[in-house]
Amino acid sequence: MSDRILRIALLAVTGAGVAVAAYLTWVHFQPDSLICTGGGGCEKVQDSEYSVIAGIPVAVLGLGAWVAALALALWDSELARTLLTALSLVALAFAVYLVILQLFVIDAICVWCMVNDVVLVPLLAALALVRVRRADA
Amino acid sequence: MPPLPKSNTPAKRNNRNLFIALAVAAVVAAALIVGSIVLRGGSDSSSGTTGTTSSGTALVAGIPQSGTILGNPDAKVTMVQYEDFQCPICREYTVDALPAIVNEYVKTGKVKLDYHGLSFLGTDSVKALRVALAAGKQNKLWEVAELFYEQQGDENSGWVTDEKVNEILAQVPGLDADKVLADAESPAITAEIEKVNQEASDRDVQGTPTFFIAIGAGEPYRLAPTSLTPDAFRPALDDALQG
Repeated sequence: MSDRILRIALLAVTGAGVAVAAYLTWVHFQPDSLICTGGGGCEKVQDSEYSVIAGIPVAVLGLGAWVAALALALWDSELARTLLTALSLVALAFAVYLVILQLFVIDAICVWCMVNDVVLVPLLAALALVRVRRADA
Repeated sequence: MPPLPKSNTPAKRNNRNLFIALAVAAVVAAALIVGSIVLRGGSDSSSGTTGTTSSGTALVAGIPQSGTILGNPDAKVTMVQYEDFQCPICREYTVDALPAIVNEYVKTGKVKLDYHGLSFLGTDSVKALRVALAAGKQNKLWEVAELFYEQQGDENSGWVTDEKVNEILAQVPGLDADKVLADAESPAITAEIEKVNQEASDRDVQGTPTFFIAIGAGEPYRLAPTSLTPDAFRPALDDALQG
């Protein structure tokens, strides 16, 4: 796989990450997400005590991280590739932690959180790692 | 001058970059995860009792009650809470925000709380609500409500068993459990439930928890907190107290 294709894939994944994180941030701040309705739409995950760290919603942290990842993918220097790899590994470790929380602590699944944690973040980490290993510039 | 070692070859640079990335990632990820565990739910210093359950009935002990109302009957501000005993978000409100609200606004006589129970989530909701309202006839609704939330089971799993009800009623000091069980099936409780259902419908309550604030005898207005932490309620309650 050429570096150009890798970079396009990175831009696609980070773009998707920004979109999903923006949606989760929007949901977090909707008052309606803080109620149970008869349809069973209890947003248990987004409203759990683990959804906020020191007053900052995890969704906002995720959005910030994805925007930074997109910026680093666009910048595309040796330093940017190293920073993107570090960022993606942080995201991967935190995503594993969030999945464990959903499955075993909160005991509820947030579908879009899972899309982020199980699909997009591992993809980002894999692409960033491959790119930093193969870089020759 | 001897030649420099070939430490700057692309392969070595890539390994060095990967090592730096791994090191930075390990430190930041560890800090994030520890931060998430220690600082979850917001700033501990500002939220006081956030995240702690009020072991059984301790939170409301000693606070005056009258039917569904908790607190000073002459309090200028009333916060109405539409809740369902099966709603996990109501439980989270009870655990995360209610203790601070009770300690800061109710125990100080500034605000009274009015529990308006709904039971739209299922049969367990209905049974628990009837028992709680019947306990309200003895001015013990809030103790029973605390215990139902503390021991909340999975939605419509049949968790509100007769044994569970008896167990909860036995934990409330001074409560006549037999009278509660008899009152729970009374037409008066049915009428009380229907009245609150109609009121909730009139106020366009779409789910639980839903909050309204009333100042004196004024028309209640909706409070839409952005989270279920004490910080999300304090400004609205402070404004109402000044209004």
